Amino acid sequence: MKKLMNKPSGFVDEMLDGLVAANPSLALGGDTGRVVHRAKPIRSGKVGVVSGGGSGHLPLFTGYVGEGLLDSCSIGNVFEGPTVGSCMEAIKLADGGKGVLRLYGNYGGDRMNFDMAGEMLEDEGIRTTTVLGNDDVASAGPAERQKRRGVAGIIYAYKTAGALAETGADLDAVTAIAQKTVDRTRTIGVALAPCQVPGSDKPSFTLGENEIEMGMGIHGEPGIWRDTLREADAIADEMIERLLADKPEGAGKRVSILVNSLGATPLEELFILYRRARATLEAAGIEIVRPLVGHYATSMEMAGASISLCFVDDEIEALLAAPAHCPFWTVTA
Amino acid sequence: MSITVASIAAAVTRADKAMGGLEQILNDADAKLGDGDTGGMLARVIGKMAEVDLSSTADPGAALSQLAKAATVATGSSLGTLFATGLLAAGREAKGRATLDVGDLSSLFATARDAMIARGGASLGDKTVLDSLDAIAEALKGTETPEQATRDAAKAASEALETFRSQPNRIGRARMFGDQTIGIDDPGMLAIKELSAALVA
Repeated sequence: MKKLMNKPSGFVDEMLDGLVAANPSLALGGDTGRVVHRAKPIRSGKVGVVSGGGSGHLPLFTGYVGEGLLDSCSIGNVFEGPTVGSCMEAIKLADGGKGVLRLYGNYGGDRMNFDMAGEMLEDEGIRTTTVLGNDDVASAGPAERQKRRGVAGIIYAYKTAGALAETGADLDAVTAIAQKTVDRTRTIGVALAPCQVPGSDKPSFTLGENEIEMGMGIHGEPGIWRDTLREADAIADEMIERLLADKPEGAGKRVSILVNSLGATPLEELFILYRRARATLEAAGIEIVRPLVGHYATSMEMAGASISLCFVDDEIEALLAAPAHCPFWTVTA
Repeated sequence: MSITVASIAAAVTRADKAMGGLEQILNDADAKLGDGDTGGMLARVIGKMAEVDLSSTADPGAALSQLAKAATVATGSSLGTLFATGLLAAGREAKGRATLDVGDLSSLFATARDAMIARGGASLGDKTVLDSLDAIAEALKGTETPEQATRDAAKAASEALETFRSQPNRIGRARMFGDQTIGIDDPGMLAIKELSAALVA
């Protein structure tokens, strides 16, 4: 697989250098050099919102740092959790004296490192809470929702928690809104072609020339079925059907939808999916608010798409509408 | 027979050398269940540990703690972090003792195992490195010489791998492959087997 890169060992650090050089609102911090934080220091008295995760998913984890979103993010190697050191640094950079919410995807390594970082910082008097993104419906059944992995849909929780934190709300309130948003968000992906970890000599999974896998995760986690490619409308219908079948308790008739490219799939194809998904949802009596279509959570050059639904209530909808700005997502009042 | 800082350093050097040949084998084993990076990640972790200068380290417990810190800097992956957690816990148990005895090894492995269970949330029987460490802790009870210890540990790790091959993985990304993992070696358990074999004199 062809990649524009230098040495594989420099892939993440060189990417981060370029990211902050191109975006003056972001800065790189910590001794590890693996923390992206807002260039402007956190306001005293504001609750911090921190994320983190493996690299290779831009803009997910790394890029959602900015006003009304995250304060900082710790970044691991490609598809590896962030180190405990970088998690500690990210939490400290997000500490405005009112506590810090750790909001990241439900993956073993990420959890262990953020847990260890939080325990070590307790001695320094920084209070932390945790909310784990677990929106991927294909990664475990509804009865084992706590085992599901976190994918694109976590950005809805970044948005609501980030917006509420800007208002001066306390840590418990910011944690509660993040949890509610996660609880009301569902995602499913479909893979068309694999990606390859820099330095590895093989793709992270294989798919036949004309094959797709419904439900595959962002690291090639196995999905629900694998079969020949079919028309976009049929794929969109099945994805929406699976998401609605997993509707959270208390879901109303309004959803925000995110049609996301896993990397290589172009906007053209995303809009073809969106067109059908919207029609299918409306036919089911569901109204769409604040739709998002684009590259929001990727796996480098993986081809495919994911659809996320956030079943909003009035509180979530208002927070999604609040002003926010980062290099990859801007909401204006 | 006592275990010294020097013997710990020698074991790390040996493991580091062994990773040269193991890296691709472990990557290939991981590619069946994950993204194929277990070998590369462990090579990086053990390489960082081998860079630690233990020559002026006071005691074996402090050596284990220093090695754990080196491991945490090298990776944030679940296996790497668990590995560091185990070393840290064993280091805490040994803290302040000038030397360790071969007879202490069983308890140190058990301590590492328990700390890793608490941190990672896996249980014995889930087909992970914990099952290998549990087998090693059991096998080292009553061991008297370092030679016997490395032999017994390698044998236990090998037997654990064999025993669990016919069972499914029950945690982490491998869990999602369900019964497809029956007949496939867990990459972490394979790593423990190969590394302990490399330590046999």
